Amino acid sequence: MDKQLELLQGTLDMLILKATSLGPLHGYGILLRIQQISKDRLEIQQGSLYPALYRLEHQGWIASEWGESENKRKAKYYTLTAAGKRRLQAETDNWNSMADVIAGILGTKPEEV
Amino acid sequence: MTLWRRLYSWTQSLFHRSRMESEMEAELRFHIDASAEDMVRRGVSREEAVRRSHIAFGGIERVKEEGRKARGVSFFDELRQDFHYGQRVLRKSPGFALVAVLTLALGIGATTSIFSVVNAVLLRPLTMEDPSRVMFLQEQWKGSSVDVSVGNFNDIKKQCTSFSKMGSSNNASFNLQTQGIPERVDGEAATADYFSTFGVQPILGRVFDASEDTPGHAPVVVVSERFWRTSLHGDPGIVGKTIRVNGLPTTVLGVMPGHFDPLLNNSNLWIPAAFTPVQLAEHDDHYLNVVARLKPGVSTAQAQSEIEIIAGRLQRLYPLDDADRSFRIQPLTTALLGDQRLSLRLMLAAVGFLLLIACANIANLQLARSRTRRKEIALRAALGASPNRIVRQLLAENFVLGLAGGTVGVLLAYWAVAWIVAHGPAEMPRLDQSRIDASTLAFACAVALLSSFLFGLAPALRSASTRLNDAFKSSTGIVGGSRDRIRSLLVVGEVALALVLMAGAGLLIRSALLVSHVDPGFDTSNVVVGRIGLPDAGYHEPIVARQTFERMIAAVDALPGVESASVVSRAPLAGGGSSNGLLAEGQPLDLANVVNSQLQIVSPSYLSTARVPLKTGREFTPQDTRERTFVAIVNETLARTMWPGENPMGKRFRCCESGPKGRMDPLWHEVVGVVADVRAQGLDREAQPAFYIPMAQMPAASWDWIGRTMDLVVRTRGGAAPIRELQGAVASVAPEVPIYHLSSMKQKISSTLERSHFDTFLLAIFAAAALLLSSIGIYGVLSYMVAQRTRDIGIRMALGASQGQIVWDVLGFGLRLAVLGLLIGLGGALAATRLLSSLLYGIRSNDALTFAAVSLLLLIVALIAGYLPARRATRVDPMVTLRYE
Repeated sequence: MDKQLELLQGTLDMLILKATSLGPLHGYGILLRIQQISKDRLEIQQGSLYPALYRLEHQGWIASEWGESENKRKAKYYTLTAAGKRRLQAETDNWNSMADVIAGILGTKPEEV
Repeated sequence: MTLWRRLYSWTQSLFHRSRMESEMEAELRFHIDASAEDMVRRGVSREEAVRRSHIAFGGIERVKEEGRKARGVSFFDELRQDFHYGQRVLRKSPGFALVAVLTLALGIGATTSIFSVVNAVLLRPLTMEDPSRVMFLQEQWKGSSVDVSVGNFNDIKKQCTSFSKMGSSNNASFNLQTQGIPERVDGEAATADYFSTFGVQPILGRVFDASEDTPGHAPVVVVSERFWRTSLHGDPGIVGKTIRVNGLPTTVLGVMPGHFDPLLNNSNLWIPAAFTPVQLAEHDDHYLNVVARLKPGVSTAQAQSEIEIIAGRLQRLYPLDDADRSFRIQPLTTALLGDQRLSLRLMLAAVGFLLLIACANIANLQLARSRTRRKEIALRAALGASPNRIVRQLLAENFVLGLAGGTVGVLLAYWAVAWIVAHGPAEMPRLDQSRIDASTLAFACAVALLSSFLFGLAPALRSASTRLNDAFKSSTGIVGGSRDRIRSLLVVGEVALALVLMAGAGLLIRSALLVSHVDPGFDTSNVVVGRIGLPDAGYHEPIVARQTFERMIAAVDALPGVESASVVSRAPLAGGGSSNGLLAEGQPLDLANVVNSQLQIVSPSYLSTARVPLKTGREFTPQDTRERTFVAIVNETLARTMWPGENPMGKRFRCCESGPKGRMDPLWHEVVGVVADVRAQGLDREAQPAFYIPMAQMPAASWDWIGRTMDLVVRTRGGAAPIRELQGAVASVAPEVPIYHLSSMKQKISSTLERSHFDTFLLAIFAAAALLLSSIGIYGVLSYMVAQRTRDIGIRMALGASQGQIVWDVLGFGLRLAVLGLLIGLGGALAATRLLSSLLYGIRSNDALTFAAVSLLLLIVALIAGYLPARRATRVDPMVTLRYE
């Protein structure tokens, strides 16, 4: 397993939005989903997941509902709202262009300046 | 995010707090369990799995806290914390909390109780349809407002187009016999339009109509709900039944609701006025209360100007009666409650002052405390509390104080209002309706909130701006000079306000003392007074009426313990009375020469019974009858007015009844005696010109003027007033006639002074409280100063300053504050006490003696308040303070 990367400031929200865009998930499920997609290369403070979830819900980007988990326990499921979808799109675009710019800057060789 | 969603989330978090908390708990629990399950599936022991998943999750309480914050609940949460914290802080300093809460409770309690009285008497609207449209009409004559004559009422009602309804009533009282014992019931003789002017409907039956309001119609009556419930046993079938009013069988038409008492004189009966054509033409007999409802769209000013046109017409038509008369309308509310306004507003201002002083005191305490709390606050700031949060927290602490003070204050007010209702002046209308109700509570809450904000804000802002360095640097050094200045200013303000209150109270007290030493003009000890009204039915003939009173006097005279008995048309201090125009012999018959004088019709024994000192001449005898010369006894004021510098004995004047040549030729009366002045209208009123005529010579018509009502004046040989015996003696002569308003003359006097004594008493209490609070303020500032300057004092003592110098330093500072406050207060008091002028007797509102006395008192109290801290200063041991450094 590669060394785990610490999560960049402010990216957790984006990851949660992405995870829920793939279908309703409970909090633990979101954690698993992110770890699974990232192939365990991201280190996520488990506790910080929930304040982020509540913030996103408070802002109306995800909605929650109580349901039943795989092993028949009550769990709170989060789904992406329409506003959340737009937000995810905007954040993705923003991230991509930011990543391009940063990569461009970092890839610059001395003779190119 | 929409506003709606934010609000939803907030309300969720506010109102579904516990559900949210348990949901959050369940959610986090699920996470940890699920994570542990996964590990168990991978082969970790359960115990180890739970431990590891807890570690991986992190601090659950911190997560919850952050979760709450993320939901936007933190504001309310923090507020709750603030309150909780404030409560704890206050509990940890019980001495401060107790003083602050009591001070505040005093201020809030006083304000709230006076407000509830003001609310009941002044602010609550009269219970009638649209009271602002109901006007009260009065005649204006020689600068005073008087009641309206029937003729004038009738003419204005016919001619005036500004009013949709106009009615009149005159106060009357009636002899009733509903349960065997005769009783006297107050009521009104009203016109048919009277009820509809107010727009109030009866709860049973109906009111009388125009056909019943005519002379000669069978007697009918409308009764009050109170009378119906108490005297008529709430009989639901009362309408159409007959009761005896003034000896006549009278049909009950209807029952008016309990709140119907439009002129606030406790009316229980209304009978039709049924004016006769003679009465309708009479313009010279002024006794009607006239009310009118403005037509929609007509303003008071328009109605007033129309009435002035009519008044001009009346002046031309009836020059003899209406020459100098004009008319004025004013809203009924103003007419009824105008008198109360001044003194109630004064009280409200006084308690407002008291509240301000209380607030200043607490602000002072807070400032002193904020010094000792500087480290605590600095620590909070260092731990990351924003200035905002610190201010909020300190305000929350004050709010807790305000709440506690408000609660205790409302309890105090509850008790105070009960006391005021029980002991307040009886003639203050609607006083009995004062109570702590929703509006009073709202007022108290507002006062508590506002005052906690007021006294809390300055100290809080000051604390929050404390710089950390300063706070930790030194604990004894002199920091915060500006804080000292604020505290001193607060004390100066307190002293100034207290002086204003003390000056007001001092003036009222001095005035009350002066009044209590006034000689009423007769011997008031062992005198009992009661009123007897003979009904028209059976006592219409003057001779019957007179002989009935003479028999009553004889019956009372025969009672053991009675020294002498007499009757008079209106006893001194019993209120009311009638007056007549007198024309001295030799003066041309012209209105300008007429002297207006109080008339007293008396039995021959009255002057000797009341012990009104006879200055010259003789008293009346039973031989002064209508067959002999008409005689009169005048008081000294009348003698001086009519015959200045002359001996009035044997002089003659015309008055009272028409002579052989009609109304313009009044009968002659001869002065046979001069008596001392009697202050008949109240001890604080100057004596008016007055004359006495014997009952046996009174004009037949005057029985109607006085409503066949006489006051029985009895001098006893001491001991308790023989109330029962007097009732028995009266009943032995006329069984159906009650004697009422029975009380000793001393009681009558104190009830006329009740009102001013009450005002004085309240203001004195407020002033005493203000003095106490401001002396606490002075004490607080000086103690603080001494505590703060311990080191300076120690050094000065080490350098050889004597104890006297130290004491003088501290006291001098306190006195400077007091004198400054005193000077400002004197300025304020000079302006403010002018409002009291109309309540004062015998002194002016800028009475130097009073001002000097209260100033001196204040200075003495300031000295005493300053003495304790000064003493403490001298106990400073220079060695100890310096070593401590």
